[in-house]
Amino acid sequence: MLSSDQDDLRLLRESARTLFERAGGSGRARKLRDAGGTWDPEMVRELAAAGVLGVTVPEVNGGLGMGLAAAGVIAEEVGRVLAPEPVVMTVGLSLGLLRRLCPDHPRVAQLISGDTVLAVAWQERGAGGAPGDAACRYADGKLTGSKAWVVGAPGSQGFLVVAEGADGPVLALTEATANGCSVDQRVQADGSAMGELSFSATPAEELARGNAVTEALSDAISDTTALAAAELVGLSDRAFEITLDYIKTREQFDKPIGSFQVLQHRAVDLNVMREVAQAGVREVLARMDCETDPGVRKRLASRAKARAVTAAKKITRDAVQLHGAVGYTDEFDIGLYLNRALVLSAWLGDDAYHRRMWFKAREQEGAA
Amino acid sequence: MADWNTMSDAEFRKEVRRFFETEYPEELRHLPHRPKFAEVEHWHRKLHARGWVAPAWPAEYGGMGLNAAKLLIFYEEQQRWGVNRGRDMGVQMVGPLIIKFGTRQQKDYWLPRILSCEDIWCQGYSEPGAGSDLASLRTRADIDGDDFVINGQKTWTTMAHDATHIFMLVRTDPGAPKKQQGISFVLAPMDQPGVEVRPIRTLAGETEFCEVFFDNARTPCENLVGELNKGWTMAKALLSFERIFIGSPSLAQNALGQLESFARCRGAFDDPVFCDRFAQAALDVEDHAALYARFADQLKRGETLGADVSMLKIWVTECFQRITELRIEAAGPDGATISPLQVGNVSVDILASFYKARPTTIYGGSNEIQRNILSKAVLGLPG
Repeated sequence: MLSSDQDDLRLLRESARTLFERAGGSGRARKLRDAGGTWDPEMVRELAAAGVLGVTVPEVNGGLGMGLAAAGVIAEEVGRVLAPEPVVMTVGLSLGLLRRLCPDHPRVAQLISGDTVLAVAWQERGAGGAPGDAACRYADGKLTGSKAWVVGAPGSQGFLVVAEGADGPVLALTEATANGCSVDQRVQADGSAMGELSFSATPAEELARGNAVTEALSDAISDTTALAAAELVGLSDRAFEITLDYIKTREQFDKPIGSFQVLQHRAVDLNVMREVAQAGVREVLARMDCETDPGVRKRLASRAKARAVTAAKKITRDAVQLHGAVGYTDEFDIGLYLNRALVLSAWLGDDAYHRRMWFKAREQEGAA
Repeated sequence: MADWNTMSDAEFRKEVRRFFETEYPEELRHLPHRPKFAEVEHWHRKLHARGWVAPAWPAEYGGMGLNAAKLLIFYEEQQRWGVNRGRDMGVQMVGPLIIKFGTRQQKDYWLPRILSCEDIWCQGYSEPGAGSDLASLRTRADIDGDDFVINGQKTWTTMAHDATHIFMLVRTDPGAPKKQQGISFVLAPMDQPGVEVRPIRTLAGETEFCEVFFDNARTPCENLVGELNKGWTMAKALLSFERIFIGSPSLAQNALGQLESFARCRGAFDDPVFCDRFAQAALDVEDHAALYARFADQLKRGETLGADVSMLKIWVTECFQRITELRIEAAGPDGATISPLQVGNVSVDILASFYKARPTTIYGGSNEIQRNILSKAVLGLPG
């Protein structure tokens, strides 16, 4: 059990918020998008120095040894300012895999210190592609095949690739600059890019093999799904605040538009949605810290993502409507929130997908 | 008298649960209608003998003296087991009012009679022209010698046809500059020539509430509670705890459980569209419970709840309605059947929960009024 008490979490929230605000808040996200859509490596190191990236890694391996509840606090702050740095990806996926499979590997320390960023390539296009059914092969220290939807690929120094070995799944590490490795970019709504990777006898190092890889991946995906939900909660929170400020100050018919009852009731509904999402997602993260059954953790993560996506979609789209025509311009920040919500919703499954997963898990638990 | 507050929460919960599970009459569990006193009298006697009629009242007045945390547990267990609240208007509303604002004589006279249900109370607030805009009430009480003389009409008076007394908000100073001023709290006996009760039949076919007509009805001036013309402030002060209670997850949770067992018998889960809508409703209930727990923790820490607690009511009542609507959908062509339906080995009243859910978004301050309150008091929107 890894729970953090409320005071710890409050302190963590305050320091993360200060750090992001000092760095330039959501304005920074716009600059980075316009500059090409990746993150700021300096900021990654600054976050690392504050302990952010190693938050869930045990202290013996150089992390803070805190739980998902703490990581969720950080993810919410990332969401509030639309920070493009790969925080959830690193905490949930890259370190989520390595701390479970090979916590003493030198890359763990490099990831925690922000000196390197590794994207995780676990999906493939086509019928198969699931771990245990991957077409991408690993043999004799070489990778061959392709992987899809690799979030964070363009800015990463290397990839953690789930491939099929001679006897079952393998987790292999390869460098972005390795021979035979190419990255095709797919730009997303927020300016970030996912990578379509292809390997042709690309040299790679085997980090782990067998069923352990499948299990670690599945649990790391549960963590990441729940953390992405927390990022959406923070994003929704800030998008709502911006909108509320706007309807308080924008005047039409000689009064603030927020004095009209129809807008007031819509604002209340968005606020209720935001509060329910925040309470639900935070409860899930705290419960995942006390839960060891991977099936239950998966169901909890689905609950969080389903809720967070529902809320973020509704809040950011209504936010544009409440802004009126300026909401449809790129000059106003509210559109950045809408776009980022699109990206985080599509990543690791949207609300409809996770309701399906949640229901399936519940039925299986009921039958067991 | 036990000091319940010194028990651990878990111990207390166990004790309350054990009492309900062993003593509460099975035939009264999850009662779909509001009972008359005679129907629940045997249960009330048990509660009274145990001293558990008034969980929130201080022990010196015959209550259990529970703090907020224990009180919440008590109500959670009550709802969990489907324990009917009985005729608790006296305990929930009149008692706290008298305890807070009443004189020594009023306390000595009325409080024991509330606990024993010698007096059964109904609440006279709403009027035909004063619903959401309650402060517009027009029923008058004029002083005539030692009595108030009451003229006017109350409505939506729950169970007035089974009550011996009414506690009411009346206008005692029609000339006051603001409508919230000039309102007083008085207690009046129902059994007198000037009071006429007309039950109103609801959509569900029940008679839970009534119109009450006052034609020169009388009540002694000593039945004024608190100061003359200060009734509005007092009424508002009574609402604080009710605001979390009215937003508790139990109604929606129970309805969801009923929906699930019904849908399973009917094979509704073979339909992926139904599964998705069920999942949506179930997640709405789970995440509401998480928000409810946040407010409950606030109470447990001894903090006062702010106006934001109203969002619980908005969310859970609307969710409750959607769940009962889903059950109608799952029933297909049986969806409008009034007579109980045999499903598996249980008998199901399809429409009971649907009807029960309808007024939840209207009573206790309609959801539109709650949204008005939230937009001003919580979001700080102008106008």
